Amino acid sequence: MKKYLLSFALAFVSLTAFAQAGYDKIMAEKIGRIEVCKTSEDFQALANDFQRIGSKESTKWLPAYYAAFSYIQKGRTLMRDGKMQELDAIADQAEKQLSMAQNLAGADNAEIHLLRKMSYSLRMMVNPAQRYMTDGARAAEELNTAEKLEPANPRIALIKAEDVYFTPEQYGGSKTKGLEMFKDAQAKFKTYKPKTGLDPNWGRGEADYFLSLQAEKAK
Amino acid sequence: MKMKTQRQNILLLIFLMASIMGYSQVKISGKVSFKNKGVSEVNVTLKDTYDGTTTDAQGNFSFETSEKGDHIITFTHPKYENIERTVSIENQEISLNVDLKEQISEIDAVVVSAGSIEASDKKRATALLSPIDIYTTAGADGQISSALTYLPGVQKVGGTEGLFIRGGTGTESKIFMDGSLINNYFSNSVPGIAGRDQFNTSLFKGNIFSSGGYSALYGQALSGALMLESVDLPDESTYSLGVSPIFLNAGFQKLSDNKNYSYGATAGYSLLSLMQKVFNFNTDFVEAPQGFNGDLNFRFKTKSGGFFKYYGMFNSNKMGVRSESLEPKYDFSLVKLNGKNTFHNLSFKQKFGKYLLNVGGSYSYNRSDLHFSTETNDIESNRSQLLTDGNYLNFKAVLERKINRISALRGGFELNNTDENLNFEAVQKHYKDLISSAFLETDLGFSNALSAKIGVRAEHSSFLGKNNIAPRFAIAYRLAKDWTTSLAYGLFYQNPESKYINGPANLGFQKSQHYIFQVQRASEGRTLRFEAFYKKYDQLIKTFNINQDKEQNQQTQSALNNNGYGYAKGVEFFWRDNKKTFENIDYWISYSYLDSKRDFLNYPISLQPSFAAEHTLSAVAKRFIPEWKLGVNLSYTYAKGRPYYDIVSTFEDGKAINYPRKEGRLKDYNALNFSINYLPNIGKKDAKAFPVFVLSVSNILGSKNVYGYNFSADGSRSSAIVPPVNTFVFIGAFISFGVDNTDDAINNNL
Repeated sequence: MKKYLLSFALAFVSLTAFAQAGYDKIMAEKIGRIEVCKTSEDFQALANDFQRIGSKESTKWLPAYYAAFSYIQKGRTLMRDGKMQELDAIADQAEKQLSMAQNLAGADNAEIHLLRKMSYSLRMMVNPAQRYMTDGARAAEELNTAEKLEPANPRIALIKAEDVYFTPEQYGGSKTKGLEMFKDAQAKFKTYKPKTGLDPNWGRGEADYFLSLQAEKAK
Repeated sequence: MKMKTQRQNILLLIFLMASIMGYSQVKISGKVSFKNKGVSEVNVTLKDTYDGTTTDAQGNFSFETSEKGDHIITFTHPKYENIERTVSIENQEISLNVDLKEQISEIDAVVVSAGSIEASDKKRATALLSPIDIYTTAGADGQISSALTYLPGVQKVGGTEGLFIRGGTGTESKIFMDGSLINNYFSNSVPGIAGRDQFNTSLFKGNIFSSGGYSALYGQALSGALMLESVDLPDESTYSLGVSPIFLNAGFQKLSDNKNYSYGATAGYSLLSLMQKVFNFNTDFVEAPQGFNGDLNFRFKTKSGGFFKYYGMFNSNKMGVRSESLEPKYDFSLVKLNGKNTFHNLSFKQKFGKYLLNVGGSYSYNRSDLHFSTETNDIESNRSQLLTDGNYLNFKAVLERKINRISALRGGFELNNTDENLNFEAVQKHYKDLISSAFLETDLGFSNALSAKIGVRAEHSSFLGKNNIAPRFAIAYRLAKDWTTSLAYGLFYQNPESKYINGPANLGFQKSQHYIFQVQRASEGRTLRFEAFYKKYDQLIKTFNINQDKEQNQQTQSALNNNGYGYAKGVEFFWRDNKKTFENIDYWISYSYLDSKRDFLNYPISLQPSFAAEHTLSAVAKRFIPEWKLGVNLSYTYAKGRPYYDIVSTFEDGKAINYPRKEGRLKDYNALNFSINYLPNIGKKDAKAFPVFVLSVSNILGSKNVYGYNFSADGSRSSAIVPPVNTFVFIGAFISFGVDNTDDAINNNL
């Protein structure tokens, strides 16, 4: 009898461990795809994948977080191609996912606030002159909140550096100051340790890329 | 335990594990379509598992799963309704094709746009422009009505104020603020010099300009309507100052700490005499145009979610004009104007569940005091005075109920009360009219690609003692991804203007019927619009000049009957490219063709009216140069010369007869305008003051445009009606403190 119970318990533990392993495995697989995705279709498929995982794992905030992240990356890709018309719809989807993530993770999650900032910035790009006071102001507020929650977060430093780097000089931006901030972000990436293997860890490549541009110029 | 059972147990365990791990994978594939076309980016999921995929560009999908048994596959996409299919997974491949149903969404639903151009922030087919686009148009002079002349359908008519839409007169279009009628949108004027807009452009967050076929919620305008929407609460408290050689103004807007209410006021003074010394004016202003204006506003949100807005303004203006007299006995004719106007608007809106209530009212008092005289050898004589004053009260209530996401039903009633007095020599006229109207309108959204708007309006005029009922109908259909088409039909009634009611006559409503067809293509940054219209006028008033021996600008027409009629038909093109083709350059081109004839007022027969030009072409371009913090705007208008007539009335066999003593064509109108605005502190987040410097030159090429002709009483002499100055240069500085108000400053004076 004891042996039956033991083997049954073993089987049960391996079952749940197997389920957890399933979640970890698929999340790790999909998170790994983030660096590989290039086109807006790639990012849409990735967003769908994370939404699928999120529908099953309704208690975990990370699938919703990464779904929002994929939508935002899709938006940034379209923005680079000059396709501003779809940005509002994409921001709608991203913000929907972020609300779900926030309900699960809590209002004091800096990573979620950072993504919110990025979503509002996408909205602003649809018509910067008109939306600077509305979406632009909201984006600045979210960035502030994120920074207060986690001053050492490298992704926050990265996005701040991007903003300063890409804003034209006449509006208070600066390429040199931006590069300094990328250096700061790079340093933060070296020291910051995400809570789990699945927690947000993106952005290091971007910081390295911008600094390499400077190195190229110096040559 | 015995060895055998142990082995059995282990086998059982392995078997259990094996079945859980599930070696066999089954392939599920298929195609997702909408109206026989594959849909990409659809999320295909095996419910409650991690298995699934996304459809490709052709709508095909394929994925593998090790699940077994009955499962549900979901198909989701933000633009379509979710679909579920049950499948039973055994060992064979599963193939399924799915047809999607469109999700009705407010953003994607097509909207009626025939005859309508909207300037707002909203993403709709009608929103061709944003408010700042209209206000930064060179040559607009800071006036919304002037800016509209660069859009299709609006005629460029110089000597008289008003919106002349598609062959209609300036009084055949009406202007509304938050739904309530503005009886005197333009300032009082002297004959030959158009009055100016009395409302600051920064007061409005958007507007809908209808060149025909407008909604049943509005009436008493045969041609079209301009619906202005005032701003809600400001973003922050601000102080502003405007300085230029011709005016000075200051104002403030204060937002409460809890952001629930705001109030503000502005005051200004204008005087044209400095400009007179610098520029060569065509008009001899013996008293330079000057005026004092002020306004007050108050807005607050109630605890239950309602929103009150109050706006009140006061404007007074004075000017004196001397012109060479056309009568041989006199050297000069003089006219002096003393005008006063005050306007107050109170509006309230609140949502109650599915219902939205909009209530508003306006009150105006207007007084125009014109003194006419002649001067010979420096001695003034023949003094006469034309004094008109009017009290106007308007009230409107609209209740709207949403039926589904894109359909609604609304209804309400409106009251317009007019009480005018006119004193001219022996004539003392008192005109009173109460127009009571009721209206009903429904927005019907059948799908994202088809919607209709059906309305009806009924009016009763106490002065005429008559009723009318006017149906309005419009439909919009999406032909393809970027192409939409719209059709509109409407019946419009308008009372005869009170200034023609000078004698006993049995009069009724004037009537016009509009048929409008439109095709539009709107894609990223580019808009192309084509519109064709036909308007049929009936029951227009016919008038007779009752004091012909007077100078032309003091002659009085009196309405006899409603036997007038007319038509207006034409096509219009509008093309806009907002920074898509040329980097940082936003431009638009508008062309209107108008063929119109009418027999109304004192026209002897059906003639092309003097306010209708056959061809009007406008081009507007803007470029913002961030490196110099400079905005550069250019605009050009060409209009084919309008006809002019000298019409005289006589009596023959006891019947009033009008005949054209002289007719001709004005020279073609053209004007090239240029303006620049410099924003030195743009983007500086720590700047305390935000100045905007404006330089604008109207009619740079100095074209000597002629708006019309004045004729002497016997018709032998004439003089051209020309703009007060050919080339007008304006320079000014606008500073705001407290928040980046560069938008507002540009709005106010370009």
